[in-house]
Amino acid sequence: MNLKARFALFFAIMGPGMVTAFADNDAGGIATYAAAGAKYGYSLIFTMLISTVLLAIAQEISARTGAVTGRGLSDLIRENFGVKWAFFAMSVLLIANLGTTTSEFSGIATSFEIFGVNKYLSVPIMAFIIWWLVIKTDYAKMEKILLFLCLTFFSYVISGIMVKPPWPQVFVESITPTLLGTPAFLLMVVGVIGTTITPWGQFYVQSSVVDKGITAQDYRYTRWDVLIGTFFTGFIAFFIIVSTAATLFANNIPIETAKDAALALKPLAGEYASLLFGFGLLGASMLAAFVLPLSTAYAVCEAFGFEHGISKSYREAPVFFSLYTILIVLGAAIVLWPGLSLYHVMLTTQVVNGALLPPILIFMVLIASKKSIMGEYVNSTFFNIIAWTFTLILVLLSLLLLLSTLFPELATNAFRSIGL
Amino acid sequence: MEDLRVLGEFYFSQLLNKPIRDAKGHRVGRLLDMAIRWDSVSPHVTGIRYTKGAHDLIPIKLVDSWDHNGMRLNTAFNPKLTCPIHEDETFIGKWLLDKQIIDLEGSRIVRVNDISLSWVAREGHNYIVLVAVDIGVRGLFRRLGAEFLLSRLDNKFVGCQFIKPLENRTSALQLTREKEQLRQLHPADIADLIEDMDYKQRAAFLDSLDSQQAIDALTEMELDVQVEVITQMDEERASDILEEMPPDEAADILSELSSEKSEELLSLMESDDAEDVRELMQYEEDTAGSLMTTEFIGLPIWLTAEQAINELRRLAPEAETIYYLYVVDEQETLEGVLSLRELIIASPETTLKDLMHTKVVKISPYDDHEKVADTIHKYGLLAVPVVDDQDHILGIITVDDVLELLMPDRPRVEIYSTLIARRRQAKGGHSE
Repeated sequence: MNLKARFALFFAIMGPGMVTAFADNDAGGIATYAAAGAKYGYSLIFTMLISTVLLAIAQEISARTGAVTGRGLSDLIRENFGVKWAFFAMSVLLIANLGTTTSEFSGIATSFEIFGVNKYLSVPIMAFIIWWLVIKTDYAKMEKILLFLCLTFFSYVISGIMVKPPWPQVFVESITPTLLGTPAFLLMVVGVIGTTITPWGQFYVQSSVVDKGITAQDYRYTRWDVLIGTFFTGFIAFFIIVSTAATLFANNIPIETAKDAALALKPLAGEYASLLFGFGLLGASMLAAFVLPLSTAYAVCEAFGFEHGISKSYREAPVFFSLYTILIVLGAAIVLWPGLSLYHVMLTTQVVNGALLPPILIFMVLIASKKSIMGEYVNSTFFNIIAWTFTLILVLLSLLLLLSTLFPELATNAFRSIGL
Repeated sequence: MEDLRVLGEFYFSQLLNKPIRDAKGHRVGRLLDMAIRWDSVSPHVTGIRYTKGAHDLIPIKLVDSWDHNGMRLNTAFNPKLTCPIHEDETFIGKWLLDKQIIDLEGSRIVRVNDISLSWVAREGHNYIVLVAVDIGVRGLFRRLGAEFLLSRLDNKFVGCQFIKPLENRTSALQLTREKEQLRQLHPADIADLIEDMDYKQRAAFLDSLDSQQAIDALTEMELDVQVEVITQMDEERASDILEEMPPDEAADILSELSSEKSEELLSLMESDDAEDVRELMQYEEDTAGSLMTTEFIGLPIWLTAEQAINELRRLAPEAETIYYLYVVDEQETLEGVLSLRELIIASPETTLKDLMHTKVVKISPYDDHEKVADTIHKYGLLAVPVVDDQDHILGIITVDDVLELLMPDRPRVEIYSTLIARRRQAKGGHSE
């Protein structure tokens, strides 16, 4: 095959990795990265970079498993670990995804508040529009429009360069691991990991690889798709942290609402900063709000053998449509709860995601290391060591977080005693 | 069969992982799986897998009884009593539980939540027989230990005579029953099943169909699925199937592929078939040429009605429609048309020249789709011939190709399914 043909093939196959990557920098993602930069300056860049590398590994495993087996992750969990484990995994996924859907709706609410629209008006309307569009129209076209909106996040890159951060310091802190023993810092670490690598992202990338009909032969192109997508996730996240650190952290401005994160765009857009931020947030939140409830309903129905698919009618696939509808309605309803801080909803759900990620990762790695399933595409030993180390660290972090939340003093003392 | 007695019914999940004790009460192991043999009679359990390490089985004849506490053997256990699994046996848990199967009765893909077994006595021997698989929500809750929540819901079973597992147990075990039942399915239903499968299941499933069935099913699919199935197949098989498909369908599929891939497949096809397809591929997507098929019945003008009927017998299997017969001269110039009815009721000696209608409605391959639809609709035709400037017949466009244009989305398959369903009901559960 000549170069041109290869490129043509790549563009035909491209997609799953890119969409997941951009949906990864959703409302919760922006909020978490901005909070990390505003509160802890450049010190969390290290965590973010590491989790981006791990994102690449996790996405690669999922995409490879999808291409080789032709099946979704929940399907594989059911067939290889039985119904109880599948039930467990699906419960985890449902909780995590309900949380994430809620955070997408807070993103939508926030962006509309920036445009001056009340959330009690915008959220129900957008929830209905999303619900309706997915069922009645061609989703693929919508996806392109939303991806385009996400491009506005590149403004963080420009802004991050314009604020002229102290690059040597940024560089040094980027490669220095920092771990503060406070519960708040731990929370932020788990949040950053949880927003970068999400349970739903793993399910989603695998099932869209399967949906595209990508086979093991075409897999090498998909690998590039996944890697390039991951690069952009990390690239944008890096600049969000840098620009918020240089503007907000440097001037001691705490982030109280997601709108404050728009302040970091001031150097670029001046008074239009919040508008620019609003569009980007809307695009990312909508993209994820489209993808999430749908992929959750797919995964759950696939695991338990209920009829599923948007082309089916409600009578043919009642569980599928109910689940899909309930996720959207609940997600929107939680956001409308009076007196709830939207910003905290976004942050909290990322932490929940981070804490729920390990079980899903364990299933993924176990499946990808089974030769009977993966054949010649099975995980290499080296790969497995990285994957298991990472999973272990994440489990430890989640446990630490749990401990430090339940017994804050104990944790602080423990950290002090080991010299942190 | 007269003295067959059912001693009890139970679910595989109720026995799974339960302890096995021998006659002296010693614990032998746990029930990990059951081996079954599925020969011409009903599938019956032949042995119990009791330990993780070895693959040896406790023969079923050693089993005395069981209850919710586990299984009891009728002798003292000794590893020498065990036997290895036979070639024609398979583990039901590993093979069926949590897996997807085809429900041949409902022609859909379902997931097995549990397995229903029966303990029967016949001629002094006790057997455990596989009765059905449970695909219902109640079975799912039973596995999760929460069946009591749904105790008012009915179980949903698929009788073991109606299941086709997507994973073959051993290649030797392609049951003739399965093949026979697959043959009963309508190609449109098979197409639906294939759409729901992953690419590995597709490959295995297509292998289990005879080639004509595979082609019929493929013809029923949506274009994007056709393309997917063809690209996922190995080239040899794909080119064989494309050869046998109606050339217009084959051309549609090939034009969706990259030029390298379609060239490769064309080169593997037999040259005649490839030539037809190539010819069709040269027309733009929105022209009449892209809709037409070259498989029409063209009869020489000098034939008598009797000769024509004989010729028709030879040509009919290949043709897309035989209701319209096109009359041509040596240069393939379209001279006239007659219907099958007119041919049959004509006296045997009349020549086609005297039988045919000479005023023929025809279109050019460069007309657009709307013109085609209008023409077919206006004259109430089942098919319309496509001719070039010199009136040479190139192919025909049938009414179903036009219908597909007017209803581009799913309906085609669904219309078929409901028709079949009605026909089945009318004839008491049997199609055709």
